[in-house]
Amino acid sequence: MAAAGPLTWEAFLYLAQEAGLDVNSPHMQELYAYVQNTLASIEPVQKIELAGAEPDMAFIPRQE
Amino acid sequence: MEPLELCYLSAGELSRLIQRQEVSPVEIIDAHLARIEATEPVLNSFITLLPEQARSAARRAEAEIRAGKYRGPLHGIPVGLKDLFHTGGVRTTSGSRIFDTFIPEQDCTVAVRFREAGSILLGKLNMHQFAYGPTGENPDYGHMHNPWDPELVTGGSSGGSGSAAAAGQCTITMGSDTGGSIRIPASLCGIVGLKPTYGLVSRHGLTALSWGMDHPGPMVRTVEDAALTMSAIAGYDPNDIASARVPIPDYTTALTGDVPGLRIGVPKEYFEAPIDAEVARAVQNAFALLGAMGATITEVSYPMFPYAQAISGAILMAEAAAYHRDLLAEHGDKLYPPVRLRLEAGLFITAADYLRAQQVRARFDQQGRELFRQVDLLAGPTEPITAPKLLETRVQIGAQAIGTTAALTQYTRPYNITGFPAISIPCGFSDAGMPIGLQLAGRPFDEVTVLRAAHAYEQATDWHTRRPPI
Repeated sequence: MAAAGPLTWEAFLYLAQEAGLDVNSPHMQELYAYVQNTLASIEPVQKIELAGAEPDMAFIPRQE
Repeated sequence: MEPLELCYLSAGELSRLIQRQEVSPVEIIDAHLARIEATEPVLNSFITLLPEQARSAARRAEAEIRAGKYRGPLHGIPVGLKDLFHTGGVRTTSGSRIFDTFIPEQDCTVAVRFREAGSILLGKLNMHQFAYGPTGENPDYGHMHNPWDPELVTGGSSGGSGSAAAAGQCTITMGSDTGGSIRIPASLCGIVGLKPTYGLVSRHGLTALSWGMDHPGPMVRTVEDAALTMSAIAGYDPNDIASARVPIPDYTTALTGDVPGLRIGVPKEYFEAPIDAEVARAVQNAFALLGAMGATITEVSYPMFPYAQAISGAILMAEAAAYHRDLLAEHGDKLYPPVRLRLEAGLFITAADYLRAQQVRARFDQQGRELFRQVDLLAGPTEPITAPKLLETRVQIGAQAIGTTAALTQYTRPYNITGFPAISIPCGFSDAGMPIGLQLAGRPFDEVTVLRAAHAYEQATDWHTRRPPI
């Protein structure tokens, strides 16, 4: 999402609906602005050169 | 001894009196309950107080100790748990009225270990709703208030833990830290807060925020109490999939007062970020003192430091949204609006974004580990500012106005990303009388070195002996 360009209002509503949110809620305008800010705030992770880097995994396999 | 004095003794000091039977756990609990009664109308540290249960446990502890069955340094010591630590038979709200009547059947592992050590649970502590915010706001159970100035925030999310420890309401409190939630209130309330290495203290039985970055840890008034607590609660737990199988030392052996030979690195990027001049001065003075005590202070570079917010934000928001997705669908309109916004926004982070952030996290971690080939500890401010006003969404730092959340998590998030142990200890006060925190971070599972340096600094200063005016 962060690398795919600006999030349009239409795309936001589509994704909100897919996520199970009530797209008729008056709260959607506020959420749209918040999501735009959020996606902008994580954009810097796209700028790091990552050749050969695997994702850090949260869980350690059980040893027994 | 006056009841108020009992409330401001550390667990270490109280334990020595208890062991010699000079003070009874019943006196200690009564003193703390009186202190809570006097200060709670202002502070609002607790969601659930357990006076009868605590008095009953204190009588049992007293009888055991009289019978020669002293369990160790936490026997008879009052403890408070952030209200996301599940407690069998005692409601656990996670800071939300949605769970107002939720009573877990089982204790979390941390509560079990405190009980086995003979500690006495005084109550469940107030918190930012679902631990999702760094200020200590909670409209459901009332906002938390800083004991040094009740108009200002405690910091969060473990705000009740911070205010209870700082105001002498509780000797040991526990918090959890996903983006700074132990260290932020520790710094703003003028206490000691230790975020242990990821996997060292069990997360079993805690309401999650981010599986990969949640760290439970102690919030206390002295470094000795952090060491005593860690000795009781750290260690492998088969119920926590991320629990580490590592040897657990007696953490009190770290309390030597010695720093000669210790190499402390100060990332230059810390002082390129927005920072209040009073805070910068206090932290620089702390470096100078540690240097005068024999540590070697050197400037280092952590080039990826500015990426911490983006990495941590993507991972935390995606994981929190995944964990709370059903809650959002069923009770979204009952959530505190800023918490609801954060949770819903997490639904818009794609799997590709999340995994990209985890890749960058691996690089960030690698860079941090490389720094620890040059130095033993990384040091800096815990917070760029002192406590801001309640409900203030932006703060002014010098000429810059920045978001309160971004400011408060600026220096803490890096160690949630890496999982390295990090402690906040008091290192001064602003002209307005608000506490300032110094953050020391160490190699994974090297809490001993972190505690050693923190203790040596604490013993050379008197910041930890000051009491809030309440």
